[in-house]
Amino acid sequence: MKGKKSLGGFFASFTGLALTLILSFGLVVVLILFLSKTPGATIYAFFIGPFTNKYYFGNMLNVAVPLVFTGLGMAVAFKSSVFNLGGEGQTYAGGLAVTVVCLALPVANGILGGLLAIAAAAVLSGTIAGLSGYFKMKWNADEMISSFLVSSALMLIVNYFITGPLDDPNNNMLASLPLAKQYGMLGLFPPSKLNISAFFAIAGAVIVFLFMNRSHVGYEMRMCGLNREFARYGGINVSKYLVLPMILSGALHGIGGGLMVLGTYHVLYEGFSFGMGWNGIAVALIAKNNPLGVLPAALLFAYLDAGAKSAMLNGDVTFEIASIAQSFIFYFVTAQALYGLAHKRRRVA
Amino acid sequence: MSYLEMKGITKLYANGLLANDHVDFSVEKNEIHAIIGENGAGKTTLMKILYGLEQPSAGSITLRGERVMIHSPLGANRLGIGMVHQHFKLIPDFTVAENVVLGSEPVRGGIFVDRGAANARIREVVESHGFSIDPRMPVRQLTVGQMQQVEIVKMLYRNAELLILDEPTSVLTEQEIGKLFDTLRSLQKGGRTCIIITHKLQEVLEISNRLTVMRKGAVVAVRTTADVPDRSELARLMVGRDVLYPLNRAKKACGAPVLDLKDVTLTQKGRDRPLLHDVNLTVHSCEIVGVAGVSGNGLGELEDVVSGLQRTTSGRIFHNGVDVTHLGAADLRERGMAYVPADRLHRGSSLQSSVTENMIVSNHHKFLRAGFLKRARIQEYASGLTKSFGIDGGPRVPIGTLSGGNIQKVILARELTSTANVVVVSEPTWGLDVASSQFVYEKILSMRAAGAGVLFISSALDEILGIADSIVVMYRGRIVAQLPNNQNAQNDPNVSKKFKEFIGEYMLGLRDDFAPVGSQRKDATS
Repeated sequence: MKGKKSLGGFFASFTGLALTLILSFGLVVVLILFLSKTPGATIYAFFIGPFTNKYYFGNMLNVAVPLVFTGLGMAVAFKSSVFNLGGEGQTYAGGLAVTVVCLALPVANGILGGLLAIAAAAVLSGTIAGLSGYFKMKWNADEMISSFLVSSALMLIVNYFITGPLDDPNNNMLASLPLAKQYGMLGLFPPSKLNISAFFAIAGAVIVFLFMNRSHVGYEMRMCGLNREFARYGGINVSKYLVLPMILSGALHGIGGGLMVLGTYHVLYEGFSFGMGWNGIAVALIAKNNPLGVLPAALLFAYLDAGAKSAMLNGDVTFEIASIAQSFIFYFVTAQALYGLAHKRRRVA
Repeated sequence: MSYLEMKGITKLYANGLLANDHVDFSVEKNEIHAIIGENGAGKTTLMKILYGLEQPSAGSITLRGERVMIHSPLGANRLGIGMVHQHFKLIPDFTVAENVVLGSEPVRGGIFVDRGAANARIREVVESHGFSIDPRMPVRQLTVGQMQQVEIVKMLYRNAELLILDEPTSVLTEQEIGKLFDTLRSLQKGGRTCIIITHKLQEVLEISNRLTVMRKGAVVAVRTTADVPDRSELARLMVGRDVLYPLNRAKKACGAPVLDLKDVTLTQKGRDRPLLHDVNLTVHSCEIVGVAGVSGNGLGELEDVVSGLQRTTSGRIFHNGVDVTHLGAADLRERGMAYVPADRLHRGSSLQSSVTENMIVSNHHKFLRAGFLKRARIQEYASGLTKSFGIDGGPRVPIGTLSGGNIQKVILARELTSTANVVVVSEPTWGLDVASSQFVYEKILSMRAAGAGVLFISSALDEILGIADSIVVMYRGRIVAQLPNNQNAQNDPNVSKKFKEFIGEYMLGLRDDFAPVGSQRKDATS
């Protein structure tokens, strides 16, 4: 009977997710039917387009890379029952750290310099997010609010660097000086932008999974997330686990942002991390906060993005169609998560 | 036909707890009716059913001669039933008026809350009942007694004719209790009917017209208060007269003190009475010290303080002679303290985690290799415990899917290890069936046999008399009696009955002469 119960739970969550996807894709089809003069071609471009050539396919995978890191960052926080709403700013700050380190270092050793830059991104963003955790521990300040506010302020500071000290005088775009070629990451699927940062993403997911599910610290973090009173009773230092998950979450966002700059753009664009925080939340929710589930969830988001780009180029719809589909998935998944939460509450009460 | 009749009410919770078992309960119009009983007797469940917060598994409710279905508190309000909860449901930053009208605001122009009308109506209610609250005051600034008045006004504002008060006096001071009783009497004069849930006998006799005694989910007696000859009869009805558990209590010589509390006091902001007041007690090795008391008298606080989850305000705690007053749960566990909490679903277990994960919360650092958990070793450890404690379902299932008895077994398996030298258990058999309870007692006795000292906190006097070597009684945060358990009580039902009544009087605060160890025996057995 108990086995059946958990099996039922699995099917409920699986059918829920499948239903979400079908509804969202169905919405895309309906929108295209309304908006496009050549719906057949546009639908084909949307759903099949991303797989038709190396350029689209590689770029799709490349879009998934930072989403994996922001998704992991959110999953780590959610698993520990802390909330990090500052993902966008932390991703942005990661980009800044990478840019500053790469511009400041001599370009002699590209690989070492690149790794150093990524480490700097992790430290900077981890520290920023960790502060919100520290405020929570010290003064019980809501980390959800403080991380969001700090992140919002942070974005203005990064903007200052882009248009101020790091500004490229030879370029009219709102962007920093370009990074030296030596820091670029090895391309995988030319001419697409996909590069070896994809392996970082896969490794990241596996490492986070092992850390959360197999390590001592991961166990304590999860216990704090599931039931803080129980963790305290068991002798776990619960205040430590208000700060640590925030640091890890921030660091993962920072790495994601850093890899975007280092692997894809080679320059720090203003606003390059737009929406990354929310997308990370969506990815984590779809993955049900399972670090390994983050990989397919990020791919799904990237697929929608790539489909919309393809439909825009080969059909006659605008790019916003991807945003609409993504937000639909976001709504459904959130509603599902909230429903699950309410259901759980009722059962406990 | 009575004003309110509840017939055959049965409430079986999903976790198998039978909270109400064919309860028949009736209230006459215009009376103050008390429901008394120990913790877990099913009083609150019965009232939650009446107020629409819980749906009965079986049974019917008849109000003013009509069969009614009550699905929600809103539905109860419409029928003129109001409830004042033990824990107030008020918003501190809202004013009294805003709190009172919340949910049924008088509206002006279809959109705006008509503050003027609200204030005026509330002032009318407040004045007609002699309350002392200003509708425009923020609730945050009120005393606890005044907050309760707000809750009552909230119900009167909704035209409640039948008022349910759940443990209304547990948070009040003596004067506030007096005032509350004046209010209840004035409500009665105004034609209203009140049901008051309590476990304090004194108050029952003072305020009620009739009373219903509940025990273990069933009604055991209904009396007219004026006909109750003496209070100890009520105490006896309330605590029950069940046969003591025939446990093997082979007495060993007591060893050295393992746990020692010296003048432990715990105060809380906003409470004029300390939650724990100069508590002194000692647990020796090979000894079970039973702490008896009605809940709300410091048992929970004692549990928190001894387990290191709550800092004392003053006083010291010694473990094997070492001062551990300022040590937290992790250090105490390292020193050999085991703790089986009263709140086994929230504090004692993490319901969504597997049985295995629940079993290693306090000792997972013993299964480490380079920061990673040794999964095979842990699995082996958990399967071993699951087998030796006979836990159904196996080590991998989420503990929340197990029955209450099995959850408690998991907690015992985790806590009662060979390294424990002090065991703190609180309400260990609450909600468990006889077989599971017996299992719990046997495990605790085996810990004593192995040399541990046991602090056995329980609001069920029967089990303390059945298992403890010595007994401590708490009332209002103080230790009011401290005496060895009466060994004859097991064999002689007459002695047992008298001894129990004797302890019960201390628990209920009917006696306040401190009984020095050894001197009570004549009194209790003569």
